[in-house]
Amino acid sequence: MRQVWLISGPPGCGKTNWILSEIKKHGGSCGYIRLSGFSEKSLEQANSSEIDFVFLKDQIPQLIDLSKPSDHLFSDQDDSVIFIELSQFYIPNQSGLAGIDPRIISQLENLKLLPDQYLHFGRDTELPIKDTLDFTKIESLSLNLQENVWDPPSLNTFWFELVNGAYGDVYRAKALLNIPDGRSMYFNWIVSQPGSQFLQLNDISPPKGRPQRISQLVIQGRNLEFTRIKSTINLCLINDSVLEMHQASLSNQQLAATH
Amino acid sequence: MIERWALISGLKGDLETYERIQKDLKKIRGDITLFVLGDMVGAERDCNSLIDRLINPHPGDLKPHCIYGWWEDQLLAERGFRGEQKADALRLNKGEGIVKALVNAVDPYYLNWLASLEFGFVELDCGLIHGSSKDIGDKITIDTPPLILLDRLTRLGVNRLFTARSSQQFHLELTDAVVNSYVKDLGGDRKQEQKVPKRGVIGIGAGAYYTLYDVGSDKTHFLNVLDQPKSNTRGFG
Amino acid sequence: MKQAVISCLHANLPAVQAVLNHIDRQGIDTITCLGDLVGYGPHPNEVVDLIKEREIPTCQGCWDEDVVDGLDACDCSYPSQLAERRGHLAHKWTTEKLTNENKDFLASLPTSIRRDKLLFVHGSPNSQHEYLLPDMDAFAALERVEMSGAETLFCGHTHLPYVRELGQGSIRITLKNTPNKQTEEKEINLPMRRIINAGSVGEPRHGGSKATYVIFDDKTNNIDIKEVSYDIDRTCKAIIEAGLPSIFAWRLNHGFEFAELAEDASHVCER
Repeated sequence: MRQVWLISGPPGCGKTNWILSEIKKHGGSCGYIRLSGFSEKSLEQANSSEIDFVFLKDQIPQLIDLSKPSDHLFSDQDDSVIFIELSQFYIPNQSGLAGIDPRIISQLENLKLLPDQYLHFGRDTELPIKDTLDFTKIESLSLNLQENVWDPPSLNTFWFELVNGAYGDVYRAKALLNIPDGRSMYFNWIVSQPGSQFLQLNDISPPKGRPQRISQLVIQGRNLEFTRIKSTINLCLINDSVLEMHQASLSNQQLAATH
Repeated sequence: MIERWALISGLKGDLETYERIQKDLKKIRGDITLFVLGDMVGAERDCNSLIDRLINPHPGDLKPHCIYGWWEDQLLAERGFRGEQKADALRLNKGEGIVKALVNAVDPYYLNWLASLEFGFVELDCGLIHGSSKDIGDKITIDTPPLILLDRLTRLGVNRLFTARSSQQFHLELTDAVVNSYVKDLGGDRKQEQKVPKRGVIGIGAGAYYTLYDVGSDKTHFLNVLDQPKSNTRGFG
Repeated sequence: MKQAVISCLHANLPAVQAVLNHIDRQGIDTITCLGDLVGYGPHPNEVVDLIKEREIPTCQGCWDEDVVDGLDACDCSYPSQLAERRGHLAHKWTTEKLTNENKDFLASLPTSIRRDKLLFVHGSPNSQHEYLLPDMDAFAALERVEMSGAETLFCGHTHLPYVRELGQGSIRITLKNTPNKQTEEKEINLPMRRIINAGSVGEPRHGGSKATYVIFDDKTNNIDIKEVSYDIDRTCKAIIEAGLPSIFAWRLNHGFEFAELAEDASHVCER
């Protein structure tokens, strides 16, 4: 019997990672969709749905993307599990399914996905609660960095400065960023956890030209200095000739390795 | 099959000596790789035939693996391949006439090939370089202080360094190196005894003097194509 | 006699004033400076003027050299593109601000100062750009001091103050082969030598934000590493007012270099 789970919580509470571990536990066919939720007064939602899906899909290649209609291949009879991730700042005022935000219910009806289970981080004890922060004011910055490639040591410095408060109080930062050897790096940082989560995606694109895959940076926090963030990023991104040089030296190495 | 390296340098355009070395090497059994550690060019004679032969080996020649040396570096500098630098060191030591002779000894056609050569090779745990890892003009000799030898090895991260610049042929081994280090900083102090495993430095010679190296046994054979007997059986193999 | 050694002032006037006051209060009047008077910080002329006024013998640092040369002498030593671009911004700003008289002064500085068995340099005896880190290969460190003909080498550049003694060393050297099959074996005792890094006055990087310098007592041979508080906020404010990248103020306040230091500090530019 197909199961549909709605998982909500504030930014950085660990929704995506919890879903990843549930998908791994389940082992069978799984689907995923992220709903961006609604901004509240002085609490701005960030759009990181693409980062989350690309990350999950990289870890679980057979994961079905429910944001694309063509991927709706489930029948009611199979034992598949569908996870709906929802970013929501406030704790639902009722328990269980009754707590679902009415605005979300209409979205779910359109998607023909009616949850069997609804869990919210900070409300339901089935979910870990240690990382749930109570946000009172939050700003978001979402940058599309598709086709951009970072100088790796510069990225390292920028990320260090970013999460240590050089550009405002960052609560949450998440990114998928390209580096010159064709790899995409997944960054995941939350103020309540020590250290950043860095992960190299399994999927490596051929180091030729500018990468076309999804690359985004999402930052949430307070007093964020958007202009300084953007100008620093510009100092870290490599130009065409540097990229070509990196890619040429990589293909030379690959040639040498095959001889 | 025994793996051997033949290491030559300092031919300075002398194709005849190169041909004699090639001929010599044909008589030696084993799997030989030929390295030319720079100074293919010089001011004494026209160097074009030798360069051409290195780029286009004759049938039966061992294929040479070349790096650039001090004379190539001076030539390339004078020809504008080193930014604003010119052949200042050569000019200072030997005068304008020699700089001109060097420039005239090599057809501009070959400059791009020379400019494409590497500073050195790292093969297995060995560094093959014209001078040293510090400087292409570094003359390492049998009398170079051991601290300098260790430094040049450390800079390249190798256990053995093959060098040509001094023209000398020698095989030095450094063992049982130890030094005590005591560091005090704002975090406290720490003591450490540093040791270095066995390291070697090999001077390969120049011109008619060259070196054959047995990779497996770390043995050197210092040869030349001047004084060999007519019928030589060298006993390698 | 006690003498003070300061380094890497980096145009941070409040830090330089605080350190000189600290030295004066101890009645020490021999001071040697290991260079990098300018670069990154907001007070290049003021710091150069103060050093000139106090007639402090000074070696030329890599920044002093670069500013005079009109462009960075070594771009490849930057650890990242970000550091390089920030460095270029600071370089351009400093070049524009420095008076010609002060540029001439920086150009006139010697690359080393020798007093008997003491040698004072910015980076290493080889290069103003070479870092001698506290835990670098002990033999290579010993080579730097020994080959310069000194017994004690004072350096800066790393912004990490330390004292390193290298002693009880030996090495066996064997001549395995020559063209006449000559062999020989000898054991050499290595000399005892010392490296003293003076840290940084204007851009500390030892984990704290205080200025650092060292005091050397040539009677007892004792070295003291000193930490001095200064008005960081004054410097940070001046950085922002000067229009220098404001990240420099944030980094200084947190005890980080203005632009990050290369992880592989053993790099020496081949140019």
